[in-house]
Amino acid sequence: MFTQQLVNGLTIGGIYALIAVGYTMVYGVIQLINFAHGEVYMLGAFFAATFIMVMGMPFYMAFILAMACGAICGMLLDVIAYRPLRRSPRLACLITAIGMSIFLQNLAMLIWGSRPKPFPSQSLPEWFNTTWVFSHFRLTGFHLFVFGVTIIMMVGLNLLIKKTRFGKAMRAVAQNKTMAALAGINVNKVITLTFAVAGSMGAAAGLLVGAYYNSLYPTMGYVAGVKAFAAAVLGGIGSVPGAMLGGIVLGVAEAMGAGYLSSLYRDGISYGVMILVIVFIPAGFFGVVIKETKKSI
Amino acid sequence: MKPILQIQGVSKNFGGLRALQDISFDINQNEIIGLIGPNGAGKTTLFNCVAGIERPSSGKILFTVNGNPVAIGGKKPEKVTALGIARTFQNIRLFDNLKVLDNVKIGRHCRFKSNVFGAAFKTPSQRREEEEIAASAEEILEFVGLRGRGEEIASSMAYGDQRRLEIARALATDPKLLMLDEPAAGMNPQEARSLMDLIHRIRDKGITVLLIEHDMKVVMGICERVVVINYGRMLMTGLPREVQGDPRVIEAYLGTGAFNAAEA
Amino acid sequence: MDQKISNSSKLKIALLILALVLPAFPFVSQHMLHIIILIYLYMILALGLNIIPGFNGLLDLGFVGFYGIGAYTSGLLTYHFGMSYWMIMPLAFLNGALWGVLLGAPTLRLTGDYFAIVTFGFSELVVLFLTNEIWLTRGPLGLPGILPPSIDLSWFGGPVWEFQGELPYYYLAIVMVLGTVFVMHRIQDSRLGRAWFAIRDDEVAAVSCGINLLVYKVIAFGTSAAFGALGGSFFARWVTFLSPDMFKFWESFLVLCMVVLGGMGNIWGVMVGAAVLVSLSEVLREVLSAVGLPVEIRFLAFGLIMVLVMRYRPAGLMPIPAVAAQMRAGRVKRKKVKTAVS
Repeated sequence: MFTQQLVNGLTIGGIYALIAVGYTMVYGVIQLINFAHGEVYMLGAFFAATFIMVMGMPFYMAFILAMACGAICGMLLDVIAYRPLRRSPRLACLITAIGMSIFLQNLAMLIWGSRPKPFPSQSLPEWFNTTWVFSHFRLTGFHLFVFGVTIIMMVGLNLLIKKTRFGKAMRAVAQNKTMAALAGINVNKVITLTFAVAGSMGAAAGLLVGAYYNSLYPTMGYVAGVKAFAAAVLGGIGSVPGAMLGGIVLGVAEAMGAGYLSSLYRDGISYGVMILVIVFIPAGFFGVVIKETKKSI
Repeated sequence: MKPILQIQGVSKNFGGLRALQDISFDINQNEIIGLIGPNGAGKTTLFNCVAGIERPSSGKILFTVNGNPVAIGGKKPEKVTALGIARTFQNIRLFDNLKVLDNVKIGRHCRFKSNVFGAAFKTPSQRREEEEIAASAEEILEFVGLRGRGEEIASSMAYGDQRRLEIARALATDPKLLMLDEPAAGMNPQEARSLMDLIHRIRDKGITVLLIEHDMKVVMGICERVVVINYGRMLMTGLPREVQGDPRVIEAYLGTGAFNAAEA
Repeated sequence: MDQKISNSSKLKIALLILALVLPAFPFVSQHMLHIIILIYLYMILALGLNIIPGFNGLLDLGFVGFYGIGAYTSGLLTYHFGMSYWMIMPLAFLNGALWGVLLGAPTLRLTGDYFAIVTFGFSELVVLFLTNEIWLTRGPLGLPGILPPSIDLSWFGGPVWEFQGELPYYYLAIVMVLGTVFVMHRIQDSRLGRAWFAIRDDEVAAVSCGINLLVYKVIAFGTSAAFGALGGSFFARWVTFLSPDMFKFWESFLVLCMVVLGGMGNIWGVMVGAAVLVSLSEVLREVLSAVGLPVEIRFLAFGLIMVLVMRYRPAGLMPIPAVAAQMRAGRVKRKKVKTAVS
């Protein structure tokens, strides 16, 4: 059972990590908790299901297109909701983020209905169902697919941040927007693109979760969003490797907790971990302690 | 009489940067003392260490309360204020969006103690306190020359008046020691003169004044003693006249060789 | 200042008189009374929440947690011990304050956004607790048959009135709203209120005036939580049935929306916000169910309202100058926060 829970935990943890990097990247560049990120994740799942069911697309194509839609959603979110508030106080941005989150959730409810829908599982490739039985656990092709996607995306994201011009620009904007602008970086564009990257990974995660649990519903982004945020905090907000590690640790903790303690409090474990981390180690694994007071005198 | 503030070997590091190194000097009761030095010398850092905003990396800061020296290095800023040290900020930090009178009333905060229940039920003691706070706040506004302006919004006032208001708010905390961070910055000569007059009157109330100032007219005009720091180290202390003519000070401000040039 | 009564006071007195005589009008049905009581209840909640974003400039996403704590305190004490509502009211109030302090003390030293998310996590934990601790709360089955309040004068040889219909609740709610407004008003003009406003405006300047940030934020959070619980205690005895999903995040959001729409920091504003949004909510509920859509979709409108208010009128419909100036774009003393993408 332990090994099986570990496998389950790693699978779901990898998905949390995909969402968590979205929070952390956006927080890194504009110091905003993008509450609506969970909704981009939810929309990703619904887009993919719609592409498959309504347009009859093959799974992989729907996957790619859902990611593209997620990127567009992220960009629209930034351009419509957040960009006008760049120079507003934080409270205004946070309230807007909450407002957008609720708005998108209900928009999805209006379009797709409030009841949970099954994922069109017949479209999933054959090999997802292949099962290998080991002495202590079972592994399916789907597990491997999730691992593979997570690893590829994480490596890709790291390369993007470390090696590309965009990555450099993003780090510069995160450090100091004024200086970045003086150095000729189009700050708004970099921020919007960051939202796009975050959105595409979130959408991918949504699709994976929808397919994994075979269930889609408009409020799915809300719980997953908070959990992923908890993962980002655990890793140290602003740190991309931290978010990855945080997601995996949280996924495993949750699976173990659900397996050994009480499955009723599955979600509670994430909230509990989050509150404890925030109170006792607010810097997380790799982050910087954020203090608002005592600064800038 | 004991010095009111003793700074003993205070150092402050920010990571690898040594902002203050082994600063020591005393401030006597009821004097006006200037802290000068070029930009980046560490003057504001020293203020922050005394005020409790920064914790000194090493060294002691002793503040005399009722004749007993109390170590205040590393104490929280609100505690330091309660002990009797008030300050103003280099870039004015008023409660911009509140009324002038409320700014001063908030300064009175630490000298009173009414609580939630008092606030909710307006007990007689609370009412008395409110009256006292209002009366003393008006009095302080008058003292700094802002009489009758209590209903204005702080940020809408002219720059010089904002400086005065910040001093009023600091005075409202009933300090024994008042630390002013560049109070004359951005003032025209006339405003600076009336500021000097205000500082004299503050001292006449028995309050010791420590000020950071770049305007040498102000420093020479009111300081009884001057402490000079440069690159986080003590350069000298002395009378304004002594400091003014000292080659080390001129060099610190104007660079190497400046003294010789000035002589020539 | 002068003894004359200002126009706005006249308006307030007129509104109060109207509220007092309203049930006497023939066109006011029980259903309408019910909705107006709902408005009063949300006024209490909005006034309570207002302390956090309005007076202190912090975001609280978990207000419903305290509302739920108050409701279940009230429900359980009635259910198990048959306690009188007049005893329960202060107990629920204090219980709310207690949880506010317990949650606030360790978390209020954090930055605002961390605090916001902690409050959210807390309120979700409250719902999970209420759902899963069946031995105490009966879980998802809910807590039925909570007795309505009664006025017991038998000690003095008088009668016992049990609340029936909406009318007694209507007047009880008015009394509670008046009490809340009274307290908020007092606090606003007190040393406590000024300390909060100082914190809202500039934390560094506030400490240099001798204000202990943590202590005052915890007091704020406790007070806010207490009013949330007060509202909850009324709610339990009014609807006489509780279930955990009445206390989901939506409720926090709705109350926050009232505060934001009405005008953060403005006592009268948030009350107007409550009245507007409860009315809107009821209208949308009718319309949506008439066209066969799920009634939750009305939150689409609330989400949109929140975004639009922040964009175009960030201090709300009835702004107070201090908040309006602070929320105006571009005039921010935004404190620099050190983070980096690495």
